[in-house]
Amino acid sequence: MGRTGHEGGGPPGLSRRELLRGAGLAAAAGATLLPAARALAADAPADLRVQGPDAVELTLTVNGAPRTVAAAPRDTLLDVLRLPLDLTGAKKVCDRGTCGACTVLLDGKPVYACSVLALDVAGRSVTTAEGVVGGAGRAVADAFVAKDAMQCGFCTPGMLVACAAAVAEHGPSLTLEQARAATAGNLCRCGTYPHVLEAALAAAKTAKGR
Amino acid sequence: MKAFRYERPTTVEAAVRAHAGGALLKANGIDVLDRMKERLDQPDRVVTLVDVPGLDRVERRPDGSLSIGAMTTLATLAASADVAAACPTLATAAGQAASPALRNRATLGGNLGQHTRCGYYRFASFRCFKRGDADCPVQAPGGVQEPAGIFGIDLCACAHPSSLAPVLAAGGAVAVVASAKGERRVPVAALYEPPARGKASDWVLGEGDVLVRVEVPPVVAGSHRVGYEEVRQKAAFDWPLVVGAVWVAARDGVVADARVWLGAVAPSPWRAEAAEKALVGKPFTAAQAAVAGEAAVAGATPLPGTAYKVELVKVVVRRALVAALERRS
Repeated sequence: MGRTGHEGGGPPGLSRRELLRGAGLAAAAGATLLPAARALAADAPADLRVQGPDAVELTLTVNGAPRTVAAAPRDTLLDVLRLPLDLTGAKKVCDRGTCGACTVLLDGKPVYACSVLALDVAGRSVTTAEGVVGGAGRAVADAFVAKDAMQCGFCTPGMLVACAAAVAEHGPSLTLEQARAATAGNLCRCGTYPHVLEAALAAAKTAKGR
Repeated sequence: MKAFRYERPTTVEAAVRAHAGGALLKANGIDVLDRMKERLDQPDRVVTLVDVPGLDRVERRPDGSLSIGAMTTLATLAASADVAAACPTLATAAGQAASPALRNRATLGGNLGQHTRCGYYRFASFRCFKRGDADCPVQAPGGVQEPAGIFGIDLCACAHPSSLAPVLAAGGAVAVVASAKGERRVPVAALYEPPARGKASDWVLGEGDVLVRVEVPPVVAGSHRVGYEEVRQKAAFDWPLVVGAVWVAARDGVVADARVWLGAVAPSPWRAEAAEKALVGKPFTAAQAAVAGEAAVAGATPLPGTAYKVELVKVVVRRALVAALERRS
């Protein structure tokens, strides 16, 4: 059992996350991470780097801290955040870049983690909903609570990240139209949009000007 | 998604070699990942352009034209002052596509090379002419037709998804394609071909062909006018139902040359030649824009479920022309 891969079923009586968390610890105890250039054959041309199909070492900055994991070429950024890194804020809902529940910041800009290969963002900075709440976006999270901007909560981490990006970009001058545009790629089947937009605007009022 | 070997060239030449050797070509992967997750594509090898330097830029050249790298994101296109100056409709189309998170990743090359979003194509459990079946289920009894096309749909009824391709084709843009034989220039207007059984991609490029950049002639103030219009069900984060892009050269208020291209109405971007003919030699007016809109549907063979697109084409072409007419530069 590797620490990468896709979330699926497990044996009855054990949640898949518990199962995988246990497997991850077992693997961590007994194995070291794979070398980054494992598949780079000695005769490979200088202008071509080859990775996989097995996992290779991947280092990226997540919520401000450097993290190193094993990731296979097919692993998305969302897979890596949720499984080896255990950051479950970003949700795997559609897994096709159509719902926004996995929205994270890549070098400060919102992207869908499900639609990014993890190895493509080596060395770059990723901020998840956890990082937003624990950092500059705390006021946005507080505004979500104050404005009752969630119902079932599944879209909330993605909405929060999208709103935090809009507040960071526009500061106190954030308009309703800009907040609407910023959250256009985040779907909420409960229909919390009006409260989400209120929360974004309320948080923006307290943000420092830019 | 099936496991694959990831090939990361740092030069265009190495990308060409890998693609010619059978590796699936990927930019940032918005469309390619979707196809791989659905197992429409199950490659053993994937080659990506993410490590090739210099492909993610817009350059304004001394003659005013644009050179846009294939890895330039739609967000960059939408925000670029150079794009706004040289081809404003490209900035508009890029800025309206998809959602902010997708525009931060989706690339020009990926947008032009993406496969159809037809639901029958996208799910392997359906039959699909593009995936090798003898017929197209859109045309069969009970087929879902609303997203499909109205032109050139006798074999495959899908609608082409790119909203940038009609803009670039109308603007006379040229794709620069690298291959083992060197670079060649393919007008965006000639980048696509009619559907063929078992051919998933809509464009003419084959294995070993790597689109590296697109060159866009400048819209010259006082001589050229461009317009763009699309209609969707939702204002944001939705695929357009009909796209219209126009380029008009007028002298003393009379149209000397015109190009009218449509998106989402045929299996590939569709040139509305009858609309162009309705414009050339005539005064460039709102009334003539309406005439061109009526002409744009010549040759349409709508299905019962796509008949509404005939009306939308008329409106979209008229509005795009009026937008061009009213544009100051």
